[in-house]
Amino acid sequence: MIENYIPVFVVLGFAILFALATVFSSEIFGPKRPTKEKLSTYESGVKPIGSANERVSIKYYLVAMLFIIFDLEVIFVYPWAVTFTKLFSEFGMVIFTSMMVFLVVFEIGYLYAYKKGAFKWD
Amino acid sequence: MIPLEYFLIISAFMFISGVVGVLTRKNAIVVFMSIELMLNSANLAFVSFASFMGDVTGQVFVFFVMAVAAAEAAIGLAIVIAIFRNKLTVNIDEINILKW
Amino acid sequence: MTLETVLFWIFGGLAVVAAIATITRKNPVISALFLILNFGGLAGLYLLLNAQFIAVVQIIVYAGAIMVLFLFVIMLLRPDDEKSFFAENKQIKWTGIAIGTFLFAQLAYVIFVGVPKQSIVRDAQRSVEIGTIESIGRALFTQFLVPFEAIAFVLLAATIGALVLAKKKFD
Repeated sequence: MIENYIPVFVVLGFAILFALATVFSSEIFGPKRPTKEKLSTYESGVKPIGSANERVSIKYYLVAMLFIIFDLEVIFVYPWAVTFTKLFSEFGMVIFTSMMVFLVVFEIGYLYAYKKGAFKWD
Repeated sequence: MIPLEYFLIISAFMFISGVVGVLTRKNAIVVFMSIELMLNSANLAFVSFASFMGDVTGQVFVFFVMAVAAAEAAIGLAIVIAIFRNKLTVNIDEINILKW
Repeated sequence: MTLETVLFWIFGGLAVVAAIATITRKNPVISALFLILNFGGLAGLYLLLNAQFIAVVQIIVYAGAIMVLFLFVIMLLRPDDEKSFFAENKQIKWTGIAIGTFLFAQLAYVIFVGVPKQSIVRDAQRSVEIGTIESIGRALFTQFLVPFEAIAFVLLAATIGALVLAKKKFD
């Protein structure tokens, strides 16, 4: 079984090699003649303000959290979609209704997030 | 063919890493990561038993564990954020009001 | 050394080393990145166990979604680095490691010695069958239908709870 996945591992290996090569080849081959001007922070020609270590906004947390929840919803829909025709011929509407109940319960959470303004960016 | 014991010992090692992380680390977020580590070691044990016993139940259970872990991460990190708002720290040694 | 053995040692070693690194690095961002590496190794182990769908879900859900949330929260809170692992609270650290070693010895004893020696032989064909998305879907929507609906409510509670806890102005 694992033999079928060798192409995936090959692609993975190439991806890692390519990433490492691009990062480190410029480090190895590039000429380095630093001056004070070159080492100063580059902010499109403007004098830099404040520190780069600023806290990101909580909006990112909310988006990532909603992403997880709906990601899981999709994960549960995949096996349903794949087995649907077979199970539908065996068990009938129960299979369809159960997934609809599942989705409706999720949509309640979606509506709540919408009402709370979790999708508003400012 | 790799015997079942090898997978179980990796699972055991990951679980113990999680336990040591929870016992020794001070950063609440890293403690959470240790808990994820423990949940994942349980998942590995589930999947290896499911695969070796030829029973799909273990794999379905892994799904439920993943869903609960996601809910736990969302809520737990929200709690960490709420604590940080009030106490401006995530160091669990300083969050000790309930300590007696 | 078959291919399977080689891959087992690679992925198993990856999982173990990344687990140790996760709990010992002082910068939480590096801890989180090592945890992602650990999940990658685990996905490889799942593939070796012929659990293909679980392996993919592991990557999508854990490495793709949960760890993004962790990294966002780390960057949101910007906690200071801890001291290096043995710098302070030495007794607590050593006690933790001692408890861990003791528990690990116990588990290893149970796994290798304690159980009656009737080794479980894997039926390779069967394990490929149960790892497919069809068999998981069939079990999920027949035998485990009620837990499946319950999961919807767990996640609904998670959505609402996290929004309530987090949706105040943050400054």
